[in-house]
Amino acid sequence: MAALGTFLLLASFVVCSYAAVASVIGARRGSRSLVESGTGAFHLVAALMTCASAVMINAFLTDDFTIKYVAHYSDRVQPLFYKITSYWGGLDGSVMFWVFLLSIFGSAAVYVNRERHRELIPYIVATISAVQMFFLYLMVVHKNPFTTFVTAAPAEGEGLNPLLQNYWMAIHPPSLYTGFVGMTIPFAFGIAALITGHLDDSWLRAVRRWTMVSWLFLSFGLTLGMIWAYEELGWGGYWVWDPVENAGLLPWFTATAFLHSVMVQERRSMLRVWNVTLVIVTFFLTIFGTFMTRSGVVQSVHAFGEDRQLAWLFTIFMIVILVFSFGLVIHRLPLLKARNELDSWLSREAAFLVNNWILLLSAFLVLFGTMFPTLSEALTGERLTVAGPFFNKWLVPIGLILLALTGVGPLLAWRRATVRNLADQLLLPALGGALALGAVLALRIPIWSAGLCFGLCGFVTATVAQEFWRGARVRRRNTGTDYFTALVGLVGRNKRRYGGYIVHVGIVLIFFGFAGNARKLDNQVTLKPGADVKIGRYTVRNDGIKVSDDGQKQMTTAYLSVFVDGQQIDGMYPARWAYRHHEQEPTTEVAIRRTAAEDLYLVLAGFDLGDQSAILELHVNPLVNWIWFGFGVMALGTGIALLPERSFAFALAKLPAEAAATTSIALVLALTFFGGATTVRAQRGMGGSEDTRSSFYARTPFEKQMQHEIVCTCGACGHQNLAECRKDACSTSHQMRGELAALIDQGKSHDEIIQAFMNKYGSQEMLGAPLDSGFNRLAWLVPYAAGAAGAVMIGFAAMRWSKRPETAAADPAPARDPALEDRLDDELRDLD
Amino acid sequence: MTHRNIKIGATAAVLTLAFVGLMWSTLRGGTEYFKHVDEVMVDPQAWHGKQLQLHGYVVPGSILKKPNTLEYKFKVQNNPARAPEAGNVVEASYTGVVPDTFKGEAEVVLKGRLTPDGFHTDPNGVMAKCPSKYEAAGKSAASGT
Repeated sequence: MAALGTFLLLASFVVCSYAAVASVIGARRGSRSLVESGTGAFHLVAALMTCASAVMINAFLTDDFTIKYVAHYSDRVQPLFYKITSYWGGLDGSVMFWVFLLSIFGSAAVYVNRERHRELIPYIVATISAVQMFFLYLMVVHKNPFTTFVTAAPAEGEGLNPLLQNYWMAIHPPSLYTGFVGMTIPFAFGIAALITGHLDDSWLRAVRRWTMVSWLFLSFGLTLGMIWAYEELGWGGYWVWDPVENAGLLPWFTATAFLHSVMVQERRSMLRVWNVTLVIVTFFLTIFGTFMTRSGVVQSVHAFGEDRQLAWLFTIFMIVILVFSFGLVIHRLPLLKARNELDSWLSREAAFLVNNWILLLSAFLVLFGTMFPTLSEALTGERLTVAGPFFNKWLVPIGLILLALTGVGPLLAWRRATVRNLADQLLLPALGGALALGAVLALRIPIWSAGLCFGLCGFVTATVAQEFWRGARVRRRNTGTDYFTALVGLVGRNKRRYGGYIVHVGIVLIFFGFAGNARKLDNQVTLKPGADVKIGRYTVRNDGIKVSDDGQKQMTTAYLSVFVDGQQIDGMYPARWAYRHHEQEPTTEVAIRRTAAEDLYLVLAGFDLGDQSAILELHVNPLVNWIWFGFGVMALGTGIALLPERSFAFALAKLPAEAAATTSIALVLALTFFGGATTVRAQRGMGGSEDTRSSFYARTPFEKQMQHEIVCTCGACGHQNLAECRKDACSTSHQMRGELAALIDQGKSHDEIIQAFMNKYGSQEMLGAPLDSGFNRLAWLVPYAAGAAGAVMIGFAAMRWSKRPETAAADPAPARDPALEDRLDDELRDLD
Repeated sequence: MTHRNIKIGATAAVLTLAFVGLMWSTLRGGTEYFKHVDEVMVDPQAWHGKQLQLHGYVVPGSILKKPNTLEYKFKVQNNPARAPEAGNVVEASYTGVVPDTFKGEAEVVLKGRLTPDGFHTDPNGVMAKCPSKYEAAGKSAASGT
């Protein structure tokens, strides 16, 4: 199977290069058939990558530990769900998953736009193919996920890291990748438009929706990462400006900027160079973020491996991207001239421009702070780091300015706003802000920065409410319906604008949640049984510690009672779990009591079974849940903005993006209300616990040869051979090297030593040649194929139905919902 | 036209100056030296009192904890625990809750200050290397706790 996988990757690379070359030559020669064959090859890459992914997942499901990657990230006892998610659990697989997603996205984008942007297609195909070729090359020559063991296949894999066996962690990377990968599509359109010179605004309209989908997934991925950190890592927070987090945030800033400035170009034909630049920069930052986290350039407490060769490959690729893209931009500058000038600084355009600058400044600052250690080392030789305080000092005020702009922007008129008009518009929002500020003062919340943030939240909410109210009033007057129908009709008529406003409400809620940090309480105590501690309005009492065992792990649970005003309101049970073979690495299971106002977050940091005392870390995190809820609102708004221009709710099945939006809302809601401190875990491989320092470096060539022939069985190192397995604190390889040295000292021969190891370890675990698993494993593919076919059929059916709403088959509640009916009437009337 | 250019130029200059000034002031307050144990212990006096991020490995079996408190004392060495040589060793102290991954042999980064009687770690200043998706976590070893 591994050979099949490698072959598929190689084939993808070859087909991909053909697609790139054929479509470019076809476009230049005006040969339609050549372009079509290039496009066909491009779709073939998607098919090949799908097959390769199926082979990989099949390998995980059948525990094919002959493949190094599978052995490294899975084991037999791992639950099915995590076996599948292990596909993207490591570097090699994540690169492959990246190419898979890109090929699917690319195919979809090319298919959707095949008629509308015929002249751009060949170059879009070529650009995406070039990006795919880079990643395929990376895999084929350097990081092949299908590499098998040369010497021996282990009988058991090492298993996915327990910390990563968390529901949120399983869906966080695909979401983030989808966001990252999706940014390639606008880039490809931009490059194609630059090459062909078709630089009117039509390519922008084509990519706007793709960018929005990618942006949504990126936001979703970032949120999931925060939730994971909050629930699993047990330090009471969700964001620490770690390089890995920052890598995801960078393209988010520029994509957000693009989604705003694109409106200026559509309306006023300004900022045309700027928009192309933003698209390029966003794509560049996705590659740069990948580079940063995978190559070891930036030191992080996340243990990303250092990999010089990978770093070089990425560097070359990034230089090519920059030179090529900006070369094209400069080449096309005459065509990109703005057709209008900024009329006034008091206008919507100007507000968008300032918003863009600030977002870009944020991206720059985050990039600067993240790269600062590397920069300072290169310049001065001293490795200096900047930490949270630097980021907070800069990004808190910047965030507040952005929030303020969110409120002011929609009030400004295009071209030129008059002061009088603005004052009129500002009245209500300012009142909202003042009210919020009054509440802040009454609650004695410090004005900087939380108080100001709350005030601005009030201001922006009032702005959005006013926009909705005014729009609905006008519409009611024009159509003669009630307010609610008018409101729904309003949103339906201008989905992008009002969807955008809903996104702003989501942002306000997220900021609201951030501001809660100001009232955060922390404490660390040792509690004897019966003793209690006060934090905020809560009193927490230790009722004792109990140890239980479920066969897989030993669980030490603190039984805590929570009181408010002398009344017991809850029992909370933070725990530490020690898995079999991992007794020295207990995991922390936090207990969180969620309410809309605040979370009580308890961590069992340590315990003494002798006197039943518990060492507790207590946090009260106000308003945290509003961050997650705000994301849900944001997703809802994006979903509305993504709805097709003309069709309405029944066309939902047409676009996968809306389905995604709905799903994420459901997920976020589910999380907000049901999320608990429970996690699913599985065992990992064997561990060692011997304390030794020296490491038996080979003394003779023979010993060296033997060390290379035998692989380590510890389960931590990815079954490296004994000579190589040194970087981890691996006692097993140390011990095995010792045994080898002893056997050599006894004068044993090659075969005798092998035999001795086989006898000792009871199998050929460290020796056997990869087993030929045979094609019967293809049978595993059948259910997936059936599932995929079903999904395709449903998709087709849904598309069909959504095209003919009058058949009413796709309407989830046909003629039952008077509001929807009215809304439809409304819509139809407006279409006339 | 020139009048406009002067205006733009002046605005840009003021903004740039303000930006650089702010950057300078925040960086001065916010930077910390990132140093390995060996780099610091060559001339410990030179580092006394400076805000540091100290990178090293916890010496196996060196973690001591005062019963019923959150006070830790441990040693950090420059090289990984199983390297042929340990490199320089520095004593460190910390009060608070340590991460799960903090134990003998763990790769750590400590935030704090060096003093004549050892390295004083700031509250929440212990960062032990997280197991990541991209590299298997270092296997456990004898722990001092």
